[in-house]
Amino acid sequence: MKTANQPLLSLKGITKQFGSLTAVNGVDLDVCPGEIVVIIGPSGSGKSTLLRSINFLEEIEEGTILFEGQEIGYVTSKHGRRHLDAPHKICALRSEIGMVFQHFNLFPHMTVLGNVMEGPLTVQKKSPQEAREIAIDMLAKVGLSDKRDVYPATLSGGQKQRVAIARALAMRPKLMLFDEPTSALDPELIGEVFDTIRDLGKEGMTMIIVTHQMGFAKEMADRVIFMEKGSFVAQGTPEDFFANQMEHDRIKSFLNRIL
Amino acid sequence: MKFFNGRIAKRSILLFSCVLLFAASICFAKDYDQLFTEANDAMAQGDLPAAISILKKVEFEKGDDSGAFVRSRMQIARLQFALKDMNAASAAAKEVLAVYPDNSEALNFMASVQQEQKPRYKVFIEDCLRFLPQLLKGAVMTITLVVCIILISPVGGLLIALGRISTFKPVSGLCWFFIWLFRGTPLLLQLFFIYYGLPSLGITFKPFTAAILGLGLNYSAYLGEIIRGGIQSIEHGQMEAAKAIGMTYWQAMRRVIIPQTYKRLMPPIGNEFIALIKDTALVSTIAMVELMRSADQMFNAYFNVTALILAALIYLLFTTIFTFIFEKIEIRAGIYENR
Ligand SMILES: Nc1ncnc2c1ncn2[C@@H]1O[C@H](COP(=O)(O)OP(=O)(O)OP(=O)(O)O)[C@@H](O)[C@H]1O
Ligand SMILES: [Mg+2]
Repeated sequence: MKTANQPLLSLKGITKQFGSLTAVNGVDLDVCPGEIVVIIGPSGSGKSTLLRSINFLEEIEEGTILFEGQEIGYVTSKHGRRHLDAPHKICALRSEIGMVFQHFNLFPHMTVLGNVMEGPLTVQKKSPQEAREIAIDMLAKVGLSDKRDVYPATLSGGQKQRVAIARALAMRPKLMLFDEPTSALDPELIGEVFDTIRDLGKEGMTMIIVTHQMGFAKEMADRVIFMEKGSFVAQGTPEDFFANQMEHDRIKSFLNRIL
Repeated sequence: MKFFNGRIAKRSILLFSCVLLFAASICFAKDYDQLFTEANDAMAQGDLPAAISILKKVEFEKGDDSGAFVRSRMQIARLQFALKDMNAASAAAKEVLAVYPDNSEALNFMASVQQEQKPRYKVFIEDCLRFLPQLLKGAVMTITLVVCIILISPVGGLLIALGRISTFKPVSGLCWFFIWLFRGTPLLLQLFFIYYGLPSLGITFKPFTAAILGLGLNYSAYLGEIIRGGIQSIEHGQMEAAKAIGMTYWQAMRRVIIPQTYKRLMPPIGNEFIALIKDTALVSTIAMVELMRSADQMFNAYFNVTALILAALIYLLFTTIFTFIFEKIEIRAGIYENR
C-alpha cells in the first residue's frame, strides 16, 4: 500500500553500541522522497555511525530500517537472535543507497572513468560499453568529463569528491548519504562540491547530509537535525531551526563554535 | 781328502755366490725403500729439492719390475710440477716414456704439463667450454624450478593470506598453523622429510615433484605472510567504499584491495624470489640435478674450481636479470601513483 507521501526511508529506534558506549541511541527518522535532511552535531555525537548503519556498514543492535515501506537488512534466527541478512541481499540493498565519504576513498589504481564504471560493471554486471556510457554521463553531470582518463592522484580534493559522487550516482541510487563531504577540503574547493550536491537536489534526489557548513544547511535543507550523544535533540525547517532552536543552549554554543 | 776339500770348496763358492747374489738383491731393494723413505722425510719437512735429488738416485735397470724407477720419476715430475719447473717436470716424465712409451700416468702428466704451460685465460676458456654444457643443463632445471615456484607460490600465498584474515576461525587457525610450520623449520629439513621421510609413510614422490612440493609449500607460507601484510596495509576506507557501491567482500578483494597491493608487494616478493633462485640449490640434496648439483659433479670429477666459478656466474646472471625484471614490474604496478 504505497502512498504518495510514504517515507522512502524510515528508521525506528536505531541503537548502535560499541562495547559499553552507545553511539546511536534510539533514533527515529522518516525521510520522504526528494527530501534533503541535514544532520549537524558535535564530534562523536554518532552522525557517521547513523549514516553507516543505514548502509549496513555498521550492524545495529536494536531498531528497524524500512526502505520504501519494506523492513530491510536484518533477519531473526530460530534462536531469536537478530543478525544481518545474507551478504548478497545486503549488497543489493547497498547498491540502492549511495554513500559519499569524508576522505573520498576513490580507488587509486583505477582511472576516474574506471572508478565510476566500477559499480555498474562489477556489481550490476553491465557490459563494459554500457558501464562506460553511464560513467561518461555521470562525469558530465559532476563536470569532470575532461578528467576521464587520469588517475585520482592527479585530482584536487574537490574534483576527487565530485568523482566519488559520480561513482555513487552511477549505481542509480534512490537515496544518497553524505558524511561530511567537504570536511577534508580547502575552503575554496567546498563550493564546487556543494554545487554538485545542489544540482542533485534540484533533480529530486533524496539525501541525508552530515555537514558543518551551516550556510549550505540553511540554503538547501528541507530539515535540519541537531544530534548529540547519539540522539536527535532538535529538528525543524532551516528557518525554524536557526531562528528558534538557537534558544537551545547546547545548539547555540555548538553553532557559535563552528560559525 | 783333497777331493773332498775340492768339492767342498766348489760347493762353498757356489753357495757363497748365491748368498752374495741374494744379499745383493735384498740390499738393492732395501736401498730403494730407504731412498723413498728419505725422500718422504724430506718432503715432510718441505724440502722438495732435497727429495728430488734423493729420488734421482733410483736408477733404471733392465727387467726391473718393482716399479721403483717409474715411481721415483713420476714423484720427481710431480715435485717439479709443484715447484713450477715445467721443463724438469716433463723431463722426468719423458724418462719414463722413454722406457715405457705407453705409461698412462706419464702421458696424463705430460698433458697436464702442456695444459699448465698454456696461458691462464686459454685454460679457463677451455674449462668453461668443457663444463658449460653440463652446467647449462643444470641451469635449465634451476630456472624450471624457479619459474614453477614463481607461478605456484603467489597463488598459494594469496590463499593463505585470505585464509589468515578470514573471520572463520578454523580457516584462519589452519593457515596460521601452516605458516608457523613452514616458516619455523629449515627448508632443507622439509625437503628431506618430503623426499626421504614420506616414503616410510607410504607416500613416494619423484625428485622433481618433491622439490616443487617442498619449495612451493615453503614459499607459499612466506608469501602468505607478505601478502597478508600487503592486504592489511590497504586503507580501510577502500573496502568500505567498495561495499558502499554494493560489492561483495570477494568482489572488493578482487577488484579493489588486491590490485592495490601489487606495487607494495613487489619489493618484498622480489626479494623472496631472489632468495628462491639460491634456495633451489638445496634440492640438489634430494637427487635433483640442477645447477648446484651439476657444478658439484664437475668439481668432483675434475677437481677444477672453474666449475664452481662458472656456476656462481650463472647464479649471478639469474639474480641480476630477476632484480631487473622486478624493478620494471614494480614501476608498472605503481603507475597510478605518478602524478
Ligand atoms: N568502530 C568503532 N569502534 C568503537 N567506537 C567507535 C567506532 N566508531 C565510532 N565509535 C565511537 O562512537 C561514537 C560516535 O562516533 P561517530 O563517528 O559516529 O561520531 P561523529 O558524530 O561522526 O563525529 P565526527 O563529527 O567527529 O565525525 C564516538 O564516541 C566514537 O568514538
Ligand atoms: Mg563522522
